[in-house]
Amino acid sequence: MLAPALVILAAFYAYPTLQNLALSFTDLSLLRLKRGGNWVGLDNYREFLASPDFGHILFNTVIWLTALSVVLRLLIGLGMALLLHSPVLRRMRLSTVAKLAILVPWATPPIVAVVIWRWMLDAQNGIVNAVLLRLGIVDNPVAFLANLRTVWPSIVTIIVWNTVPLVALSLLASLQSIPDELNEAAALDGASRWQQFRHITLPFLVPTITVLTLMSVFWTFNNFVYVWLATGAGPGTYTNVLATEVYIKAFVDFRVGYSSAVGMVMALIMAIFGVVYYRLVAPRELASSL
Amino acid sequence: MQRWMRNLAAALLGLACVIAVGSATAQKTVNLTFRFNDTEEKEMRAALDEFEKRNPGIKVALQRIGWRDARDQYLREAAAGQGPDVVHVAQVWVKEMGDAGALLPLNDLMKQAPLPNAGGFNDFVARELAQNKQGQIFGLPWTTDTWAMVYRTDVLKEAGITKLPDTWAELHDASAQITKRTGKAGFGFPAGGSASGAIWFLANYYWWSNGKAMVVQKPDGSYGMNLTAADIADSMRYFKSFLTEGHNPTSNLSASDAHDPAILQALVTGKQGIGTMPPNTYKQVLETYAAANPGKPLPFVSGPFPKGSVTRTSNIGGRMLGINVNSKNPAEAWKLVEYLASEPIFTKYYTTQFPAQTSLLKKVDFGKEMQGFAEQLGYARTWGPYSDGPAPIGAMWNATGRAFSAALSGQRTEQQAAEELLDNVAKLMKTRGQ
Repeated sequence: MLAPALVILAAFYAYPTLQNLALSFTDLSLLRLKRGGNWVGLDNYREFLASPDFGHILFNTVIWLTALSVVLRLLIGLGMALLLHSPVLRRMRLSTVAKLAILVPWATPPIVAVVIWRWMLDAQNGIVNAVLLRLGIVDNPVAFLANLRTVWPSIVTIIVWNTVPLVALSLLASLQSIPDELNEAAALDGASRWQQFRHITLPFLVPTITVLTLMSVFWTFNNFVYVWLATGAGPGTYTNVLATEVYIKAFVDFRVGYSSAVGMVMALIMAIFGVVYYRLVAPRELASSL
Repeated sequence: MQRWMRNLAAALLGLACVIAVGSATAQKTVNLTFRFNDTEEKEMRAALDEFEKRNPGIKVALQRIGWRDARDQYLREAAAGQGPDVVHVAQVWVKEMGDAGALLPLNDLMKQAPLPNAGGFNDFVARELAQNKQGQIFGLPWTTDTWAMVYRTDVLKEAGITKLPDTWAELHDASAQITKRTGKAGFGFPAGGSASGAIWFLANYYWWSNGKAMVVQKPDGSYGMNLTAADIADSMRYFKSFLTEGHNPTSNLSASDAHDPAILQALVTGKQGIGTMPPNTYKQVLETYAAANPGKPLPFVSGPFPKGSVTRTSNIGGRMLGINVNSKNPAEAWKLVEYLASEPIFTKYYTTQFPAQTSLLKKVDFGKEMQGFAEQLGYARTWGPYSDGPAPIGAMWNATGRAFSAALSGQRTEQQAAEELLDNVAKLMKTRGQ
């Protein structure tokens, strides 16, 4: 029974991974694909880990790209879910419209989302600059995606805008599964809104948040599209992350072997994160919610 | 019954004949794919339609791809036994693609079906970029050009500038004066660092005009660098000054190509006074302005690049056509290449480009607005040691773009970025770009 699954797993996961691992020990170049690469042992790993850019790329990937955007996504998603679940929207008969509206960013393909935001953030013709100038918040147009102070917040904004609906809708589904009687009983016992949220709502949401965190971290850490399309890892290499480094080394600098080593480092980091998260964080959170 | 069966048999026989004839015709048709990287897709399709009319047994599918991804995508495909039959490549890519086994040597095809023009292959410019040291020819030069400066005459007038800048210092001053007196952008150049970025050209023109070069051939025939970190940092400081002093909008830090829409739009609408670009991009600017302002005289003039301490210069650039080493129909692909390099293509279809044949180039009427390009061609040089030397031009191009972008954006100091670039290029020279 398991054989087809094992075959598929071997063909589409194990083989490419092992092939990539083998390439990472060579100096294969895109200009020498037919001839193959020479064995260089751990040279590619040594060069990457000792490179002055390694710390910068890792910081960008872990802090800016992943941690910040995942935390913001969860917080904003939670806020949106609570708003969608609140009786206020239902009373105003806006509940369905609001649910449909938040689906729009989720239904927008990332490439389209980035292109839309690039135009909106454009210094010369973008609507964001037009509004900021009109309101007198800035004196001169801001090149959001070219300025070192604004480029990361801009990328994080694009990612969060495009991906927050999934978090919001997932949490909304969890909220709708909480029996109303629990909150009603707590209110009768004198619990404040905050206490109800802290001791009833949040524990119910923890399993969903745990899974969403894990999935979001994997998706975001490995994501290439947002950074590459928004800035091309620039200005300079300021927004370079591990995924764009893999691409740059393979398809811009043609160093396929080196790029494979960077890819293996990425996979290793995610594997360690996954193990730690499952062993330490997830069981505790899941246990405490039960 | 018998009659009915006879009729059925006759009908089946007729059908079989039709299928047989159809399949024989289909077998005779050769299907080619031409991958084209410029924006003139409609015009090129019309040219290919004409080719198909002249060659009834050949059908050509046109693929359009952007320059940015063209090089690596083709190399990947060719290595996997795939890719288009005829491919549009930058002149400086040809040798490395040929040596990588991605392009078919054209020598035999040229012997079997010689080029129809007088002078044959010798009539083409940039031949040294098409062949390796063993004499294998991997591409046919198709178009040629060089970059030049482009000015909005009305903006210059508004800023009180009466003569075109002659030196790099004068260019800087003119740019500053435009912004100071008109509030418009001065010299708006793409300052981003993505692959195939334009800053590579500007940096080299600046170095060459001051007697420096990233790659030189030494008297003993070996190759080396004739640039110090100080030279590179000086050029970075020069170009950065346009951004820090506000003549070049900082948004151009995210623009890498000469044909970036924001820069072209600024020139067309008169929000920017000075630009630099290849002739096909300039022609698009002129056409866009003319379409938006029918009947109005064109407020543009082109001029040569500023002088440095030694000379003024730029590179002879352009594109070539190559045949995929995996093509199943190389003879027909060569026929297409010969057709695409013929005179009517440049006079009727691909009119934004200059032909790479010297004899055809002499016939080109540059017109008043394009005079600067004609003048600049006289100063232009080939990549020479860059293309013959040990490091692939593409890799040096990318490293230079990233280093300049890091310095111009403030990510690194000019000195840091210059030293990193020097190290990277030294490594590339040593390892042949891996």
